[in-house]
Amino acid sequence: MSDRSAFRALFAGYGWEIGLLVFMALLYAAGTLINPDFFGDFHALRATLRDAARFGVMAVGMTFVIVNRDLDLSVGSTLGLVAVVFSLLYAPAHYDLGLGWTVAGALGVGLAIGLVNGVLVTFLQVPAFIATLTMLFIGRGLVLGLTGGKTIAYDAKAAESAFFAIGEANPLGFNNQILVFVAIAAVGALLLARTRWGYESYAVGGNLQAAEFAGIDTRIVRIRGFVLASLCAAVAGIMNVAQDKGVTSQYGQGAELIVIAAVIVGGASILGGRGRVVGSCLGAILVVLIDKVLREGVPTVRVIKIGGVDMQVQAMAQLPPGAVPAFLGLILVAAVLIEPLVLRRRLPQRLWAWLRGHTPPPAEDADGVAMVGIKTMGHSVQAREFSGGLVNRLLARREAAAVLFMVALWLVGMWLRPDFWGSLDNSFNLLLAFTEVGLLAVGMTFVIVNGDIDLSVGAVLALSGATAAFLMKTLGADPGFAILAAFVVGTAAGAMNGLLATRARLPAFVATLGMFYIARGLAAWMVAGRQLSQFPESFGLLGRKLIEPLQALGLAPAPGTLAFKIAGALSTQTLMLAVIAVVAAVVLARIRWGWACYATGGNPRAAGYAGIDTDRVRFAALVFSAMCAAVAGIVYVAFLRSFNPSAGQLRELDAIAAVIIGGGSIFGGYGSVIGSLAGAAVIALIRALLSLQIIGADGQSFVMPQHWVNVFIGLILIVAVLGDIWLRQQAVLGRLLGRLTMRRRASRSAAT
Amino acid sequence: MSETETPIVEMRNICKAFGAVRALHNVNFRLMPGEVLGLVGDNSAGKSTLMKILTGAYHRDSGDVLVSGAATQFRSPQDSRDSGIEMIYQDFALCGNMDVGQNIFLGRWPRRGLFVDKKRMYSDAEAVLKRLKVDVNSVRQRVESLSGGRQQSVAIARAISFEPQVVILDEPTANLSVMATNELLRTMQELKEHGVAQVIISHRLTDIFEVGDRVMVLKRGENVGDRYIDHTSEKEVLELIVEGTPETALTADQARAAA
Repeated sequence: MSDRSAFRALFAGYGWEIGLLVFMALLYAAGTLINPDFFGDFHALRATLRDAARFGVMAVGMTFVIVNRDLDLSVGSTLGLVAVVFSLLYAPAHYDLGLGWTVAGALGVGLAIGLVNGVLVTFLQVPAFIATLTMLFIGRGLVLGLTGGKTIAYDAKAAESAFFAIGEANPLGFNNQILVFVAIAAVGALLLARTRWGYESYAVGGNLQAAEFAGIDTRIVRIRGFVLASLCAAVAGIMNVAQDKGVTSQYGQGAELIVIAAVIVGGASILGGRGRVVGSCLGAILVVLIDKVLREGVPTVRVIKIGGVDMQVQAMAQLPPGAVPAFLGLILVAAVLIEPLVLRRRLPQRLWAWLRGHTPPPAEDADGVAMVGIKTMGHSVQAREFSGGLVNRLLARREAAAVLFMVALWLVGMWLRPDFWGSLDNSFNLLLAFTEVGLLAVGMTFVIVNGDIDLSVGAVLALSGATAAFLMKTLGADPGFAILAAFVVGTAAGAMNGLLATRARLPAFVATLGMFYIARGLAAWMVAGRQLSQFPESFGLLGRKLIEPLQALGLAPAPGTLAFKIAGALSTQTLMLAVIAVVAAVVLARIRWGWACYATGGNPRAAGYAGIDTDRVRFAALVFSAMCAAVAGIVYVAFLRSFNPSAGQLRELDAIAAVIIGGGSIFGGYGSVIGSLAGAAVIALIRALLSLQIIGADGQSFVMPQHWVNVFIGLILIVAVLGDIWLRQQAVLGRLLGRLTMRRRASRSAAT
Repeated sequence: MSETETPIVEMRNICKAFGAVRALHNVNFRLMPGEVLGLVGDNSAGKSTLMKILTGAYHRDSGDVLVSGAATQFRSPQDSRDSGIEMIYQDFALCGNMDVGQNIFLGRWPRRGLFVDKKRMYSDAEAVLKRLKVDVNSVRQRVESLSGGRQQSVAIARAISFEPQVVILDEPTANLSVMATNELLRTMQELKEHGVAQVIISHRLTDIFEVGDRVMVLKRGENVGDRYIDHTSEKEVLELIVEGTPETALTADQARAAA
């Protein structure tokens, strides 16, 4: 009897972790059954544990961040960047430094990224998902820029050093990385569960304000979380190069998804204040195991005919490259949904009571605490609109900066390349580049005005494009049907975003982050990771000059007339953008439904009291955003006459940056379609300027490589968000100016 | 006021429990047309719960709610609004990013055809503010750039634009300066002259004694007192708040008769 109670006491409160272990055992058994060649072998278990070790190390750091109620999307890029920096410093072909300097440099990069993330999120008040998402793309750009997309290897030099044993198997038969993992997990677990640092994290994540009032320096606690996450990612990066003795530009891609999913699966709450290192480590092993099961595939026997003879061929039914994230994204969403749908309704306790024939405990109020985080409202803006003349009033409008910026950038282009910039060709190319960003930005405006965010627009663009391409190419579908289906699929993705955000009450960035991976994974799956091209030309008409579809319909104006010239110069998609933008602008600025968006973003509770169905407004905006992305995806395929699985990559950054530059607030309540279009123009112009061929005085020409352009766009987004928070909302400039003039006045009055 | 007149709001034997916590127990509440009633009590006395049951934000476990003598079953604040009951929340429930006019007509912006009729909205908003004798620079000014007192004026203007018969003010002076409080008390007097009955949930007895007609005391979810302002003192009300019992409840008329 006492044995049983001691046993119970030991495991009390660890039900979740025990459940994970049982589930893992079942999953491994299933893997053995399906693919005995791989999973039946003991090596497989070791390989799984070896790979899980790196993700486990990252999960330890991420646990601190998530317990703090933050999120770090940049860990995958940090791993990649650290691995690249390590390799560059160490490789004989590059800097050829000693091991000490190399490791110090690599850890230094990790530390720096963590500090930048932390300072952006705490002192500069940038939402964590925006700051770290930007860091993700900047990191990836740097990795590509530094490696030039090439592999760096240094087997010979590595063989001389004992350090690289970290990545090797030891005499006991398992990889040393597992030891590193266990050591870091033990330290992390102690830190979180037994020290003040850990207690401070739980306090900050549970109730930030209460923690602050209690005298905890919450900013330090949150920066510490980001630094720990980045350092853990750096350690994982070093483990990775120790194993491979080289690096490619693909390192760590999508790792953040596995790590975040691992921590949430491990029992942490995306809303902070709950989570354990043990759970996160088990979660990491489980997610890596799922990843392996998905990637290894199922052995099948295919019968093919060769010269009239049936031949049996051993083959693997595998997922195409890029498709696995679709499942991992689903796991992330499912894991995040466990809290509102299962835990809050006390399903396990009720089930257990029901099984034992007891009366089940009551479910908590289903409509109790909303899962949407507390909003940080924008600070008061001075009512400048009412002072000063017409020019002042125009400048005080939030769109003003974007319009001025747009004009200035165009002039810069004119100054750099007067021979080319103003030409008709370049102008129409600019307009085309503008169309895609513009479409996404129009949809994003509604979402951001509501105080939500849609991180999935680029992926939904790819999903719709892939749907159209797949239907026409593989199934030979009619172009009209393909367009309809692509639009419906994109809309459905938006509906899922909306349902997760309103019904399940997940923060929008979590809901759309899941879709970010799911949609892109599905797109890659449909086209099997390849580029598809050669579609019926009637489909391509959507991406041509207006004259072509008109001619195809027999409606073309007579050659030589003005209408003919306009139709010959104007692109169909530009016209589509114009129509969508005008309708959207009128809806947002002049119709009750649009105003309901402003009310929802400004104060959702007040809007609710006033009888506005805020859930419906937010749902509709997320669906509309996905619809715009779907149209952009269809246009993408029509214009390029091909579909590449990387379509729309980084477009979510472009669209968010466009809306923020155009006067939107990342905290909701502000934004306009015209401003967002001006912002989209700014983004298109910056991209065009950065990829402009500069011809120097000596006739030398220079073009910036594309990945550096991406780094730059990431920086622009951060600058735009910072500008919005500090210049527009806090009016830092105005206050500084006010203080200066006051001082001057004071000194003047003192002089008289 | 005689017993024969029909109260604008009457609540009988209201009970409400949150899980094991008994928030209200057989509470009776009566409000006459045009009357200003102070609803006082310690924290967790059940003041806000009672008012939220009246507006339909909470659902009662048992008891009756009558508005102008007719039994009601409000499912949401929208239902009670249709019966002429408005509540002004402690934090005003305004959208800081929108202007005064937009906030006064939040969610029911006047339309002409498909579009919002801005001209009518702003002129109507100005009319409402004028009726309240409230001075706001411009109806096109953003609410977040207004002071706390002005913001409350907008919230009150919003409430009375529904032409309500009853306005409930939740801790109206909690976020206001002394100046703004005096302004608010003047506005409440103005409302009273327009025949609007008001319920003030407040901790500050001074305010209630300045504008109120009657004061009702709750303690741990039960009636413990009901007095006319003219026949009581702050001292007596304080005693009721601290050591009142159901026996001290009486009705205001009984208390006056006993005095």
